[in-house]
Amino acid sequence: MFEPFVDVVPSFFGWLNQGPLTLTIFLHTVIILPMIWIYRQEKKRIENEG
Amino acid sequence: MAKRSVWSDNRFWQRSAAWVTGFAAVLLIWLTFDTSAQISMGTDADLKNGVTKRVPGPTVINYKITYEMDTKRGHEIPVIGEKELFFGRDDYSEEEAGALLHLGKLGSQVKNCMDCHTLLGNGAYYAPDLTKAWLDPAWGPEGSLQAMTGKETKEEAMAEFLQHPSQYPTHERMMPNLGITAEEAKGLVSFLKHMSSIDTNGFPRNFGKIQGAVHGK
Amino acid sequence: MASKLNESQQLATWYFTFAAILFGAQLLFGLVAAIQYVMPGFLFEIIDFSIARIIHINALVVWMVFAMFGSVYWLLPDETGIETVGIKLGKLLYWVFVAAIVVVVLVYLLVQVGPADETTIWFITEGREYIEAPRWADIGIVVVALGFVANLFLTGIKGNRSGIVTVLMADMIAFAGLYLAGMFFTDNISVDQYWWWWVIHLWVEATWEVFVGAIAAYGLIKMVGAHRQVVEMWLWIEVAMLFGSGILGMGHHYFWIGTPEYWWEIGALFSALEPLPLVAMFVHVLYDWGKTQGGQDAKGESVSVINNKPAFTWFVFNAFGNFLGAGVWGFFHTLPQVNLYTHGTQFTSAHGHLAFFGAYATILIGMMYIAVQGKNGIKVMKNTTSSILAVSLIVGGVVGMTVALTIAGYVQVLVSRAQMGATWAGYFDGQAGMWFAQGMDWRLIMGVVTFIGFLFLAKDLLSIGKAAHHER
Repeated sequence: MFEPFVDVVPSFFGWLNQGPLTLTIFLHTVIILPMIWIYRQEKKRIENEG
Repeated sequence: MAKRSVWSDNRFWQRSAAWVTGFAAVLLIWLTFDTSAQISMGTDADLKNGVTKRVPGPTVINYKITYEMDTKRGHEIPVIGEKELFFGRDDYSEEEAGALLHLGKLGSQVKNCMDCHTLLGNGAYYAPDLTKAWLDPAWGPEGSLQAMTGKETKEEAMAEFLQHPSQYPTHERMMPNLGITAEEAKGLVSFLKHMSSIDTNGFPRNFGKIQGAVHGK
Repeated sequence: MASKLNESQQLATWYFTFAAILFGAQLLFGLVAAIQYVMPGFLFEIIDFSIARIIHINALVVWMVFAMFGSVYWLLPDETGIETVGIKLGKLLYWVFVAAIVVVVLVYLLVQVGPADETTIWFITEGREYIEAPRWADIGIVVVALGFVANLFLTGIKGNRSGIVTVLMADMIAFAGLYLAGMFFTDNISVDQYWWWWVIHLWVEATWEVFVGAIAAYGLIKMVGAHRQVVEMWLWIEVAMLFGSGILGMGHHYFWIGTPEYWWEIGALFSALEPLPLVAMFVHVLYDWGKTQGGQDAKGESVSVINNKPAFTWFVFNAFGNFLGAGVWGFFHTLPQVNLYTHGTQFTSAHGHLAFFGAYATILIGMMYIAVQGKNGIKVMKNTTSSILAVSLIVGGVVGMTVALTIAGYVQVLVSRAQMGATWAGYFDGQAGMWFAQGMDWRLIMGVVTFIGFLFLAKDLLSIGKAAHHER
């Protein structure tokens, strides 16, 4: 699952790139997760309005 | 009245769109800083000290370039070897080589190369890809293209072809005469040699390794 | 019986007219290039392939930009409820834009190339695919685009700012600003290509797609009376998905240009999600149509809810074409394992043809029909024989070209790339393949079909407003 790092120059993104999909899953997650917080806020707002 | 769902709420989606767009843009900018540092051009000192750069400095024209399989990375990479004569010299200074590369890069744009050829795989598909053209065996000592021009070296053969392309038809589809001068041709050949030294993560695969695979039987 | 248009919509019709002329030029020079694949001697050293192709792809980009500006000027008064602010400036800039484009095209045709120095970059060509326009024209385009964005912002701030207008404001400022990334010169081809994609990718796979989402939303409200709140909710979902996948999906252009290996993962997975919003747009258009029609049918009257048949036909083809051309044909070769062999082959060209047509040409032609309807004060606009012939021949022709180029691309991938390793000899072995050669023949035939369709389209746009069978 985890393969040796092969990038020419080490960098933060290269370091996250540790094997199949590690980097891209990380980026997708940090983009999507905060939507939970937006969801909760909006739910509260709708409840208050109703 | 039934409670409204957040999932069908415009404000929720508007805020989500703003967040996703903004954060993706921030990530792209961050990645751009990281990548820009990695693809900045190397120097003559880097070449002399054996420092590997994804995009080597212009004085890479003083060296022999090959395209070798790297077992650790699992694909071919350009390898910069010993000194090699380029138009009879192997001691171009950083300024001289930089000026040649500048002339060649400008030349590649003012003659609209990308509207027939591909460079790094981008452009038009009417003529061969030029990413590793410098390493093409056809331009080498045994190659048909070098023989066709009657020149002694690869760089002189390429420069001769570029100046008088329609004198040397290689195919029914010919390169037109674009008014390329001798100096511009020299610049273009150093641009091509420099481009072949760029680390393109193994593109194109198997370049020049299999000859006559189709018609060779 | 022509109705009196407001000034913004009048300007929109000017934009649409010049867009249609450039569309014709695009197809004409596309035909020249297609003939040269079949008969390489055609116009050799007169109008070489490179020149024909520059005009083919530049006319493409510019007619779409013209039609996009026209679409915004058309819908602004409808959405905001006021006349566009600064419309006099808008009209002046239109003529500046037209003049600049005419000069640029004439220089491409008559001067073609220059010596390797900065004056060529300033006055003849920058030689960078799609944005070859010389630097003086770049600066002119930026001025015109800033004027357009100013019109849009001032009108949006003063009038009623709907969700559609809000999305367009954010989208158009990004669209105009990104052009700046394509205006500089560098000796480093990797850096050159890195920023070049900021213009090309972030236009066609991000900002232009969001623009299409906004136009589709406007069209659904205008043509089938879809519910604004539902339409705008979909629009926000589309914006989230398009920008969420499209911005980092740019990584699929950074696999092989000298950029680091981490772009493989970023490009592969983000761009693999790019078709999702296109599915959403497809579902959304057809669903809203079915829903409003169902509501109408439930009343027991069998009347179509569509008040502009030709325009809506093009909008429906947009939903299909965007998903197929940009989504499916794009996904084919977006993973690095595949792209290593397909990058820079006719595969890309097949995708390019169906995507530009399906995602953009279709909906912009639809907007032209909406303008014809408004200009002639027609309540329900119906198809003419020419409308049907135009849409059938153009759609059939482009799909035919796409299939032909895809087959040619397969040959090129297998022979030139996988077997021969992409050398000069490998390239020409691939080009000599029978399937490749026949693919190019069929591409030319289908290109002619497309061009005949264009002639019907031009005739129809000029004459359909006068037809007697519409409801006025």
